[in-house]
Amino acid sequence: MKAFRSARHSAKIIAAIGCLFLASCANNQEQIYVGDIEVDDRFEQSNRMVFAFNDTVNDTVVHPVVKGYRYAVPAPARTGVRNVLRTLRSPVNLGNQVLQGDMEGAGNVITRTIINVLIGVGGIFDVAGHEGIEYEVEDFGQTLAVWGVDHGPYLVLPLIGPSSLRDYTGYLVDGYADPLRWYLFNIEEEGIYYTKVGLDYLDLRESLIDILEELETSSVDYYAATRSIYYQRREALVEDRARGTAGNASEYSDFPEYDDY
Amino acid sequence: MIKNRQILLAGVALAVGAFSLSGAAYAFNMNGVQSVTSSSGSDSGYIMVNADQTSGAQDFIQDMAKRGIDFLANPDLTLEQRKAEFKDLLQSSFDIKVIGRFTMGRYWSSTTEEQREEFQKLFETMIIDSYSRRFSDYNGQDFDVASSRSLGKSDTIVQSFITDTNGQKISVDWRVREKNGNFKVIDIIVEGVSMTTTQRSEFASIIQRGGGDVQVLIDHLKG
Repeated sequence: MKAFRSARHSAKIIAAIGCLFLASCANNQEQIYVGDIEVDDRFEQSNRMVFAFNDTVNDTVVHPVVKGYRYAVPAPARTGVRNVLRTLRSPVNLGNQVLQGDMEGAGNVITRTIINVLIGVGGIFDVAGHEGIEYEVEDFGQTLAVWGVDHGPYLVLPLIGPSSLRDYTGYLVDGYADPLRWYLFNIEEEGIYYTKVGLDYLDLRESLIDILEELETSSVDYYAATRSIYYQRREALVEDRARGTAGNASEYSDFPEYDDY
Repeated sequence: MIKNRQILLAGVALAVGAFSLSGAAYAFNMNGVQSVTSSSGSDSGYIMVNADQTSGAQDFIQDMAKRGIDFLANPDLTLEQRKAEFKDLLQSSFDIKVIGRFTMGRYWSSTTEEQREEFQKLFETMIIDSYSRRFSDYNGQDFDVASSRSLGKSDTIVQSFITDTNGQKISVDWRVREKNGNFKVIDIIVEGVSMTTTQRSEFASIIQRGGGDVQVLIDHLKG
């Protein structure tokens, strides 16, 4: 009886999700392109609502906290925090480099980790970065992209912000598979893990605050600007655009030579 | 205690193993593997013959940056003077009309002559406002031109880095177009994000949400 009830319950949920998809598909809109990437923003209406919600939370909570962090912790110490957090992310970066078949990238993660842990005092100083082995963030969303999975619908998530079905899946997989999480949960130090997650968020938001505030004042459609930047930035990350070395011409969008202007 | 030491030993062993592995990756030059991960296509867009154009564009960016930093770092100038200087620099080094035309995308063809003129005027004001705000944040960052390469018939990508006082490095690519021996910036690409593409996305969104009417965008820019 119980199983039957829960099955009925699941059926209801599936039906509800199906309706959501149908309803949004019915509201057929024009194609959206960012460069030559086709954007599927079938949830634009609800995305814009979450976006507005996030904007309010940013203004009232997140940005004041970030500013407090900037005020209380001097820049060199913040850089140290960032470097340690990046070192702690090494297993996730390494795993994704390997899954993407990027052995040079995987080697870089390992070399960086060893140099920074041993010479950079437990990862506080980015010695490897100064030596030209720069940090690259790799996540399972990028891995899926390398495997040929498209973004799917664009999603604006509460507190997290811009994402896509693919990238959010990747985000959950990374969080779940993170060896650091398994280790800390095994030794029953969940508290340390959640502190790390909190610091990750604080560090991320600190790196974004200036860009977001600037974008909000200069943009004519803040939502569309953010969406566009999200897709461009993800594309650059997926392609591992080597910094300072020439990539392919196809990285740059088509810019015709106009005669009529 | 013993357990901890074992973990430590295992860790060191793992680290040494990993280090030699990464060394091997370099020794065997496994760079080739990386091309698998790159979804960008062939190099067919390149034209390598045009060395004059690329070096000309590179010098042009270098000169422009020097001019900009000279007055941005000059403490004797008032904010008003700085803005005026900056406006001058923008108008002489950026092809704002071409940028404006690009940001309209496919909607350009559905505009009247008057609308185009009005749009271009509003766009120029907007660009100058937002770029001068962005660059007025300047506080002693280093600017280095790294390289340049040809893109298509008349464009050059000049790659540069801006390093702030914390040592944070930001990659900035300048798309420079040559026309009759003159160089003009037509796009700035920061960490893979193109300013003109972003602008185009915004304008398209406003026009689409306004039912495909370009006048909605023009009114929006006016207000």
